[in-house]
Amino acid sequence: MENRIGNDGIKNVIECKGISKYFGEGANKKEVLSTMDLSVKENEFVVILGPGQSGKSTLFRMIAGLEKPSTGHIYVNGKEVTGPNPVIGYVFQRYTLFPWKTVMENVEMGPKLKGVGKKERREKAQYFINLVGLNGFEDAYPHQLSGGMKQRVGIARAYANDPEIMLLDEPFGQLDAQTRILMEQEILRIWEKEKRTVCFVTNNIDEAIFLGDRIVMLEGKLPSKMKKIYNVDLPRPRDFTDLAFLELREEITGETELAL
Amino acid sequence: MSKILEANPNTEVLEGARSSFSIKKILYNKYVLYVISICLFLIVLDLFAVLQVFGNFMPRPIEVLTTLINMTVTPLAGKTLPMHLWASLRRVLIAFAIAVFIGVPVGVLMGFSSVANAIISPIFHLFKPMPPIAWISLAILWLGIGEASKVFIIVIGAIVPCILNSYNGIRLVDESLKDALRMLGGNRRQEIIEVIFPASFPAIFAGLQISLSMAWTTVLAAELVGAREGMGFIIVMGMNLSKPSMIIAGMIVIALTAFMISMAVNYLERWVCPWKTELETTE
Repeated sequence: MENRIGNDGIKNVIECKGISKYFGEGANKKEVLSTMDLSVKENEFVVILGPGQSGKSTLFRMIAGLEKPSTGHIYVNGKEVTGPNPVIGYVFQRYTLFPWKTVMENVEMGPKLKGVGKKERREKAQYFINLVGLNGFEDAYPHQLSGGMKQRVGIARAYANDPEIMLLDEPFGQLDAQTRILMEQEILRIWEKEKRTVCFVTNNIDEAIFLGDRIVMLEGKLPSKMKKIYNVDLPRPRDFTDLAFLELREEITGETELAL
Repeated sequence: MSKILEANPNTEVLEGARSSFSIKKILYNKYVLYVISICLFLIVLDLFAVLQVFGNFMPRPIEVLTTLINMTVTPLAGKTLPMHLWASLRRVLIAFAIAVFIGVPVGVLMGFSSVANAIISPIFHLFKPMPPIAWISLAILWLGIGEASKVFIIVIGAIVPCILNSYNGIRLVDESLKDALRMLGGNRRQEIIEVIFPASFPAIFAGLQISLSMAWTTVLAAELVGAREGMGFIIVMGMNLSKPSMIIAGMIVIALTAFMISMAVNYLERWVCPWKTELETTE
């Protein structure tokens, strides 16, 4: 890719060019995502904001290589995406931990698949288990953990595979409000410690403003289009009751209501 | 009087509650109720027997018990009750092993390959609804009256859940778990080893459970025709000798064995896949 360096001199790690996605054929053909361009810079925290069923997950699945775009191209690190790429760490909404494996075995899965020796991968997994605050739970099975803890495992598992990019697909969507706020703080803490390019999908405006460097807002109805991009330059840690926070919240909320 | 009660209401109420509660507690205790239920049942049975509702063919519970004890010591057709039980169990275990050995690989193959599924499933679905007992006559004509025909019939019954559950277990593995492994860099081979087999294991194991109880049901049917040993044989002998107490004693042993088999399998399951509770509690 020729234009990988943006205007500010930071390289784009993800570039989506004119992508769209259809499901079905003929009369049942349904457009989920219509011509979208999106680029994400290195170590940026981008939040994709849109209501449920707005094609956010489809966008992520295409970036991850789990699905192919119907038109257009996606480049990750300058190379076109053709299939699942371990450069990307994926954190799923429904946790999707392996239920027959303990926390440790889940987290060490990525290195294990690469053939990393047991001692080395255990050390690495332990580092990320500690990072997400689950030390002491290495031998627990997923069904013994709460929702928040399960997603911590999901985050650690993605990190332990040395990704350059993290895709978090509504990771806190199934958590209660309090746990959710705690996990939002946690994800920032982890991100500060282990900087990666992060793309984060959510339908929650507060969550978007609290986390993102940039908020990419999608249309509320299918096919999903990019509606507006907000640059959030509030200093971190952000305060939900800060005036600037509330102003931005009001602005985005106004747009959302228009969309609905 | 009411004034005094009001002045000290807590102790009064508490005392009253506790005394009535303790009677309730005994009466409503699960195990006490179990005992009451069984005793009532036995009394009714005994009444039926004494009043000769079914003529002479209704033994008193106590007769059944003596027959049961008698049979464990005195041989019937050269074998005591435990030996007959073992004869049936041996048939079940042999047939079950054959059913698992053939059925699980076939089901797994059908789950993985749509071509194999398209070839096997029409035949499978043709034979599936036939009750295994319907095969008795053919089995005897083909394989004789000996062990082989009995084992054959049990295999017919036991193989169906093995195939069906293995097939569905493989087919219905959560796609998102496969996605998760692919995102971690797993290839197809790793996907099969790390995700598909462990994820389908509970379903396959459940199939084995059903298969085993199916085998136990079928062995009795198989032994009703031309057997010289086994629990089915005891029941037939009870009929031929007009000894209903022998029939009922046999039935009790059969039920207890089935119960013990399912207990053992449940225990085994908890030991083999301790994580299985997940599947029952979430979603």
